[in-house]
Amino acid sequence: MMPEWLTIIARSFILVSVLFVITKWLGKKQMSELNIFEYISGIVLGGIVAIHSIDAQINFIYGLLAIFVWFLVPFTIEQISLKSKTFRDWTQGKSTIFIQDGKIMEDNLKKEGYSSDDLLEKLRANDVFLASDVEFAVLEPSGSLSILPKRENQPLTPKDIGLKTAPQKEPQTVVMDGKVLLEPLTNMSLNTNWLETELDKMNVSIENVFLAQADTDGQLTIDLYDDKLTVAEATEKPLLLASLKKCQADLELFALATENEETKEMYQRNSEKVQKAIDLITPYLG
Amino acid sequence: MTVGSQVKSCFSTIKSAEASLSLLAKKTQQDQSRQAFTQSAQLISEIKEDLKKQVIQLAKEEPQYK
Repeated sequence: MMPEWLTIIARSFILVSVLFVITKWLGKKQMSELNIFEYISGIVLGGIVAIHSIDAQINFIYGLLAIFVWFLVPFTIEQISLKSKTFRDWTQGKSTIFIQDGKIMEDNLKKEGYSSDDLLEKLRANDVFLASDVEFAVLEPSGSLSILPKRENQPLTPKDIGLKTAPQKEPQTVVMDGKVLLEPLTNMSLNTNWLETELDKMNVSIENVFLAQADTDGQLTIDLYDDKLTVAEATEKPLLLASLKKCQADLELFALATENEETKEMYQRNSEKVQKAIDLITPYLG
Repeated sequence: MTVGSQVKSCFSTIKSAEASLSLLAKKTQQDQSRQAFTQSAQLISEIKEDLKKQVIQLAKEEPQYK
């Protein structure tokens, strides 16, 4: 027979691993997203594990059985909910509309047990201090309030002011802790040669680089271990834009200076072309 | 600076801008921005041709500054 303390250690190890596997299996959900049932079963699972790891007198198999049941039922319910909408409404609850067309639904508030103060508090949590700013608000089953502000109160987007913006992909981290990451580099169809050249341009050696990231256009930004060194800001794009603008100004000047009509016309035409080119690339150089 | 050297300097700026644009077009990951960069590189290259002629023309007119 094992000494009791050894049993407890063994049990604890086994139960910790079992609990770990189970929580992994139940998926990624934040505490606040859990419904009541998942919340309770989580607590019960913890209780079972606690009791069985401390009390060496209880049959260990019973504990595992209980854990299995408390895992299986929520797991099955979740699987069925994924498939069936009606079942999901029943287990997870439906959302309740609190504000529609800018009008507060008092009956729904009462049904969910929310006072006007509670509603205002929830609105404030969403940075809304005036109830009339809200077009539509709905209480999610998780208890959080989702808000659609009226059109004029929505944040201004580039689309609203008709601004053309360049599409953007996720930046890739190409150096971490002074080590080159090859996979992200190849993702951007770049290589270590390119990286060395870029770092050379910035006058830093790779050992001194803590973090380096490349954006959609292959522009490199870095952070150094030595915080006293200042890194030159990325100048490639602003410089390009500035030199194009200078060219345009020069061409206009030449057009003014020349007396030959044909040459004047040529300068003007080209100045317009530079302007066209500037307009084309400005959204992408921002 | 004579007109000839001014145009020459503008010509070289244009050349460098064209190179930068082609480089950006090669490096970018996005079709849309690649298109924009290629198009403007094309425009700039047309300007480059015109200026090149002008540089030669001016060199002929101002042989003393060559």
